Amino acid sequence: MLALSGIRKTFHPGTVNEVRALQGVDLAIDDGSFVVVLGMNGSGKSTLLNAVAGSFLVDEGTIELAGRTVTRWPEHRRARLIGRVFQNPFSGTAPNMSIAENFALASRRGFPRGLGWALSPKLMKPLRERIASLKMGLEDRLDNVIGSLSGGQRQALTLLMATWLRPALLLLDEHTAALDPKSADQVITLSEEVIRRDRLTTLMVTHSMQQAVSLGDRIVMMHRGRILHDIRGAEKQRLRPEDLLDRFEEVRRREQLDEGAARMLNDLYI
Amino acid sequence: MTLLIGALIIGLILSLLALGVLVSFRVFSMPDITTDGSITLGAAITASLLVKGVNPLLATALGALGGATAGAVTGILHTQFKINALLAGILVMTALYSVNLHVMGRSNVPLMQTRTLASHGERLGESLFQGPTVNLLGWTVPSGDAALPGLALLFVVGCALVMYAFFRTQLGTAMRATGDNAQMIRALGSNVERNIILGLALANGLVALSGALLAQYQGFADAQMGIGMVVWGLASVIIGEALTGARSLGLTLAGTIIGSVLFRLLVAIALRWGLNPNDLKLITALFVFAALVLPGLIHRLKPRTVVPA
Repeated sequence: MLALSGIRKTFHPGTVNEVRALQGVDLAIDDGSFVVVLGMNGSGKSTLLNAVAGSFLVDEGTIELAGRTVTRWPEHRRARLIGRVFQNPFSGTAPNMSIAENFALASRRGFPRGLGWALSPKLMKPLRERIASLKMGLEDRLDNVIGSLSGGQRQALTLLMATWLRPALLLLDEHTAALDPKSADQVITLSEEVIRRDRLTTLMVTHSMQQAVSLGDRIVMMHRGRILHDIRGAEKQRLRPEDLLDRFEEVRRREQLDEGAARMLNDLYI
Repeated sequence: MTLLIGALIIGLILSLLALGVLVSFRVFSMPDITTDGSITLGAAITASLLVKGVNPLLATALGALGGATAGAVTGILHTQFKINALLAGILVMTALYSVNLHVMGRSNVPLMQTRTLASHGERLGESLFQGPTVNLLGWTVPSGDAALPGLALLFVVGCALVMYAFFRTQLGTAMRATGDNAQMIRALGSNVERNIILGLALANGLVALSGALLAQYQGFADAQMGIGMVVWGLASVIIGEALTGARSLGLTLAGTIIGSVLFRLLVAIALRWGLNPNDLKLITALFVFAALVLPGLIHRLKPRTVVPA
């Protein structure tokens, strides 16, 4: 379904701000699997998601999605295959347009937009039903601008918009990190429900150990632009948050040792 | 009375410019200075064609098309060459000054003896009211003057209705979303760059259409006629928003037209009362400055109130 091989990306190469965000990532994801990407700040997990979405073109490597090589495709072309929810609840919706208009836009994801009416009756009926199923009371406010809603409501709507047309791949970029705990729970429940119902292939970035353990069928741990651990199957099912913390601790210790060793060598020989 | 009718007609013609500025400034949040050049371009193309004996409708359409091309060039400079939107507009506006002089062949093209949409409209008025003058609420006015505001109003309302319909289509909605949240609409598969180019072409097409009609009404095209017109458009948009509250697309479009007419009438009255015409641009600029700054200032001075969630 999704196959990344040898992905490398360096931002601001050759300057003091050089960041080697991805340093050779290989990852293959099966159809219908739900992969959680876990990592500390700066580990490259969000960069990986953006590379798949096409926010930038990678320096090296190839990206295949749904049988097509999309490495050189611009972001808006990949959107035909990808549904996306951002970390920032404000990023996924147009604030000054109505709920209905936002969904009208989502209902044409990846399709040419012509001179047909955006708000067709064909869209409105299923839209009202689907939004009613959120039980947020939004079905009677379809003409209200989205900017008047709370972050949690906007994120729930963004998720529905991203999956309104079944995407080949769903990208969730820490999509509950900016929400209060109650809204975050609601959005996570909704995500699980949608992903299970439509059997969506999903790549979700998070830094919540709890989410990583309870969601999905595979965990990819990233560190310094590389994939460090790839946990799946029975091992994933058995995993507890403490096990993940142990693995992070292990990484941290090894790094300290490396730094210490480097300093020692520096002191001795230079 | 003739003064008021003249102001009304020019206000209606310039409301097309204001609608163009509404598209670039409010829909795409881009103050587009190409406007100053493209209104002159529309006037220049149309006037030069009319002098050569081209059908006024065709000449007007080609004038508008010229403006749309200029807008598309600004859009391409901004999106493909990553030039700051304001600077892209300045570059095209500056280049257009030379283009306009080339199109006209000199700095001014008079249209006094030429058949224009305005002269056609006046003739239509004479046949409609069956005579060269008509009694309008006690005033005796030339039939042409009585007919033109109606014709201009019909045309402008027609344009606004087409815009209203367009911005509710799939493409038009995507263009509005481009100005509202580019990241979102890109993730939904719309080509943001193409939308911006198309939007600026539409905006400057309207502006040039306004220029083409203005040249025909006032009877000349002039290389200097575009100076400060973008600020004029902004003033009209802002007045319109103040009047209607900018709550919906339809109200915003209607408000912009009313704003343009009202502003022109106010200016005509002020000039009549002895305002120095040289001060006009200064006062327009000050007005727009005040309109942009005052709402924020008032908001800051008001005591803070807690808005219930």
